[in-house]
Amino acid sequence: MGIDILGQLPRLFSSYNLLLLGEAALTTLLLSAVGCVVGLVFGTLLSLARLARSWLVLPLKIFAIVYVEIFRRVPFLVTLLLFFFGAQVLGFDLSPLAIGIISTSVISTAFVAEIIRAGLVAVRPSQLEAASVMNFSAWQTLWLVRWPQAWPLILPPTFAYLVLFIKDTALASQIGVLELTQAGNILNTKGFSSLLVYSTVLVLYFVVSYPLARLGAHLESRLGAPRHSRSRGPLR
Amino acid sequence: MHYVLHYGQITSYLPYFIEGALLSLELSVLAFSAGLILAFALAILRNDGGPIASRLVRGYVAFFTNTPQLVQIYVIFFGLPDLGILFSPFAAVLIGMTLNAAAYLTEIVRAGLASVHQQELDAAETLGMGRLQTLRYVILPHVFQVSMPPLSNQYILMTLGTSMAAVFGVEELTGRAMNVNSTTFRSIEVFTTIAGLYVIITFIATILLAVFGRYAFRARVRVL
Repeated sequence: MGIDILGQLPRLFSSYNLLLLGEAALTTLLLSAVGCVVGLVFGTLLSLARLARSWLVLPLKIFAIVYVEIFRRVPFLVTLLLFFFGAQVLGFDLSPLAIGIISTSVISTAFVAEIIRAGLVAVRPSQLEAASVMNFSAWQTLWLVRWPQAWPLILPPTFAYLVLFIKDTALASQIGVLELTQAGNILNTKGFSSLLVYSTVLVLYFVVSYPLARLGAHLESRLGAPRHSRSRGPLR
Repeated sequence: MHYVLHYGQITSYLPYFIEGALLSLELSVLAFSAGLILAFALAILRNDGGPIASRLVRGYVAFFTNTPQLVQIYVIFFGLPDLGILFSPFAAVLIGMTLNAAAYLTEIVRAGLASVHQQELDAAETLGMGRLQTLRYVILPHVFQVSMPPLSNQYILMTLGTSMAAVFGVEELTGRAMNVNSTTFRSIEVFTTIAGLYVIITFIATILLAVFGRYAFRARVRVL
């Protein structure tokens, strides 16, 4: 049987199939990259809301806590299915790719918010006290004091999260987004050996993810201060 | 956009969902324990197993942490039958989750082992402790104290990961939700309900792990 599988190799790597796999790999990257960029934007807002001390933003603060705690504790597959079927029931006409992007953004916002919060919290209180003594406004404190010290602690775990998320997007195949895993399903349906097809898909994921993971490790050794190891994990 | 929520139809399915949640928990506990044992073996091999074993472990960790768990289980469940090896859906998911967890846990355990100081080992030797005693009374408590937060974190992520089993037809929480969804068509109610159940399960798990770590290993685990 082993010979039979190897015999399929040349047919599997026909130019059409390679194009399919290549496009699918790009969709995989797109899903996680868009998710992380949106996550960075909204995650920053959420973490700022959560850290704010003023009574005026209390509702926002509660919203931030509830949002983060809920979406970090719901499986990605369930979020995908909820948005997929929810959009159908409510009559929104969205493509699976759009649903995939919305779901990744929603989930990564929660995770990235927590990473950013950990980074902002890690800035020493004495720095903020110094800023307040020098009569910095809240905005100036954030922009000139807190953020410059926090971002080296935020960037490496965010990058690690992006790499982690590339693998989670495999679940988007379940609602029919044409990413790598779904391309594998299509090739499998065409009659190629599932062992061969899914091994190829595994290798492609590795090719996409491994260099990014190494880059992330490099970033971490360049930027990450030793004390940021406290703020690494998204969930504690 | 005139949609009326009917949670009433779902409440009769709650016992069915809770049974599914127990299966999810079973899956995550089994995979986590097996993965942790495997991870200890791999971490020790990586540290003191010689250059070849160390390389192999590094390769294993790199491969399993850089590929999706879903596709790994695809290979086990759909791929291995091409070679004549068949697994039940539950076994395939359990094996895949264990192998995947072992890779992530190896890194956590290795960081824990690295935090044991040489002086502590020297002190244990001076006190006349044997190798097993040193492991039981010096190394393991230290490793667990340091690694409790990332271990607890990993366990939560694995509990969420069990939802993948639904793809292979295991009737755990997500699988049962899909069943109920296709019989009642109350998609929003069904999936928000099980999302709530997942939040509750993982919250309980976080709290229990924090309490356990606090009393068993004097580890500090932040709950919220």
